[in-house]
Amino acid sequence: MSDKKAYAVLGLFETPDALMHAIPKLRAAKLGTVEAYTPYPIHGIDEALGLRRSPLGGMVLVMGVLGALTAFGFQYWISAIDYPIITGGKSAASWEAFIPIMFEVTVLFATFTAGLGMLLLLNRLPFFGHPVLSAKAMKGITRDRYALALEAESEAFDSAAAAQALEAAGAVDIEVLPAPDRSPFLTSDYILRTLGGIFVACLVAGLGIFSLIKWFPLLAPMKYMQDQPRLNAQKASTFFKDGHGMQPPVPGTVARGYLPTATGTQDASANLVNPLPRTKDVFAQGRKVYTNRCEVCHGALANGAGSLTAAYGAKPANLQAQQFRDYPDGKIYWAVVNGKNAMPAHAAYLTEPQRWAVVHYVRALQRAQNATDEDLKVVAP
Amino acid sequence: MSQQKPTPPILLGAVALGAAGVLGTYFAAGPERFWANWVLWFVLMFTLGLGSLFIVALEHLVSAKWSVPIRRIPERLATLLLPAIPVGLIALGAVPVLYPGSRPEAAHHPILAGKAFWLSLPFFSVRTVAAFVLCVIALAVLVGGSLKQDVSRDPAFNFRARKFAPAFMAIFALVITLVAFDWISGLTPEWYSDIFGVYIFAGAFLSGLSATALSLLYLQGEGRLEGVRQDHLYNLGAFLFAFTVFWSYIGFAQYMLMWYANMPDEVIYYKVRLTGAWRAITFALAGLHFILPFFALVTRDAKRDPKRLRRVALLMLGAHVLDIYWLIFPALGGSPRFSWPELSFALFFLGGILLWVRGAMQKGEDMPVGDPFLREGLEFRL
Repeated sequence: MSDKKAYAVLGLFETPDALMHAIPKLRAAKLGTVEAYTPYPIHGIDEALGLRRSPLGGMVLVMGVLGALTAFGFQYWISAIDYPIITGGKSAASWEAFIPIMFEVTVLFATFTAGLGMLLLLNRLPFFGHPVLSAKAMKGITRDRYALALEAESEAFDSAAAAQALEAAGAVDIEVLPAPDRSPFLTSDYILRTLGGIFVACLVAGLGIFSLIKWFPLLAPMKYMQDQPRLNAQKASTFFKDGHGMQPPVPGTVARGYLPTATGTQDASANLVNPLPRTKDVFAQGRKVYTNRCEVCHGALANGAGSLTAAYGAKPANLQAQQFRDYPDGKIYWAVVNGKNAMPAHAAYLTEPQRWAVVHYVRALQRAQNATDEDLKVVAP
Repeated sequence: MSQQKPTPPILLGAVALGAAGVLGTYFAAGPERFWANWVLWFVLMFTLGLGSLFIVALEHLVSAKWSVPIRRIPERLATLLLPAIPVGLIALGAVPVLYPGSRPEAAHHPILAGKAFWLSLPFFSVRTVAAFVLCVIALAVLVGGSLKQDVSRDPAFNFRARKFAPAFMAIFALVITLVAFDWISGLTPEWYSDIFGVYIFAGAFLSGLSATALSLLYLQGEGRLEGVRQDHLYNLGAFLFAFTVFWSYIGFAQYMLMWYANMPDEVIYYKVRLTGAWRAITFALAGLHFILPFFALVTRDAKRDPKRLRRVALLMLGAHVLDIYWLIFPALGGSPRFSWPELSFALFFLGGILLWVRGAMQKGEDMPVGDPFLREGLEFRL
């Protein structure tokens, strides 16, 4: 007994009460760590053994919160920052849509932490067999006996004294468990070899599948997303009655940002107020629109002498005429939106700000051609 | 054991003051405001009683032993269903005033015309009375039987209750759905949600649990309920914790589907509650009904700490009031109303409920002494 080092001394008890009574005595003796082995949980044994509170709950809480934040962060980054797509008219960063995934990932992180944390971190599984498992008393412990072990804490562990203490505490049977030849717990060497094995297995399997798919095309992976029916632009289609793949928008459709303020007649829009401020940017934009859309008929000076006038004999309005200089902004805006006489409506290709910007620009052109002495004064910057 | 104590005059004074305010509301603030408050407190009383009765029936259904020593508390709370009956019958006066489905204009409304029979006052009343009858039957079987067992010590009651419990669950589902659909969602009859009954169930069960926990701690403070330990408290705390999550799950699921689909007739319900001052109340509800109690009860120690549990139970009862207020009061239109009418209704009904519960807590035994499982329940350890 003394020549071989002991891992622990095991004492058997016949009733849980006897076991519970023995625990304080053995803990007071301070011979080694007191550990209990029972066939079922016994109420109050945690407190009696003085076990510290498991850190698992805190770990699960932290990981759960982390899971929620991870899911939120991923979704926010994908849907609002990296690749924002408007779906169902919702804003890209709609937190409501993130909640189900956040819930799932919270549960995932929390359960994995609870399960793996308990098994791997706290119970230090897997290991190659605990010394208690090879005790002769084990059969009884899993059935109807209750055991206390005094486990060696240091080299100075005295198994004879431990056996005596157990007997004094009421144990009916004593067994000394020899220390195992090597640590039952995993060594880093073993963990590395296992991980290496898993890595090699993955590599072989991956290469195998890759070459199968590459050299035997019949074994192609699922391709159903490539072959789905779809409508192609400029192509025939049997889906619609008229046989076209492309369909015109529903009559009356207005694109976002293109809804005009002016409805009704031109006179009715006389009171509309230009919402845009007279800033350099607005005039620059108005000038661009004017050059692209208006100048060809109305001319660069808005005097009705555009290049088309000479070529086709059209007679566009001379915006420098007194009639048009007296026009309120709203009536010019109405003409831009709805067109007038031979002039087509421009509502479809000018956004609302562009339309008002060109009104400002026309005003600037009119004033430039009819400048007063006041206008010629240089304004100090 | 029971001990008769005089009713504190402050409670009676509060009820009297509240009653004056309640009468004043009808004449000074208009019938709509009066009926909205009345329905609010009827629903609160009824869901509290029903939720407590559900706890009792749940114990019988699953043959739970741990809750036997504290069962008398939800049993006593469930008797709140009795005073809720006259309150509910009076509340039928609100139907022509507050519920658009039973107004004459409804006949010309394309949606309401189809539901006219269901929403009309006669059938509304018939359903309400039927729900009351079912509740009284359940109360007589579960609570009355348990009280009789104190004297007779007859274990046959346990068998009877266990057989009745599944039937009660069907009754309960029906009654709570009627409360939810008729009394609450009937205020906005164009709007409907399948899950709404479950939402109200979650609130009712939570309010029953909170009231049970509060009464338990109160009785323990008086030195009664000897033998009820932290382990019992822990279970109540765990139930509270679980069902705050359940309530938010249902509440959010309902919101998210409607938000996603964005159907005008559905989403208007939330549009109203997410504009103006209602928006603040909606967020306050999420905070008080879920986030605060969740983190207050998340640890193991918190669930069996009497002080913490008392605070959370009070919070949950308050949150339940806020929840029902949030469901009913937008029907009045405009921003949330809270002023002397609401305060006097709260005084009157809270005082009344406290008086009733106080009286019930002083009658008879504090534990079901005739239940053969009482000893096993007292020996319950986690």
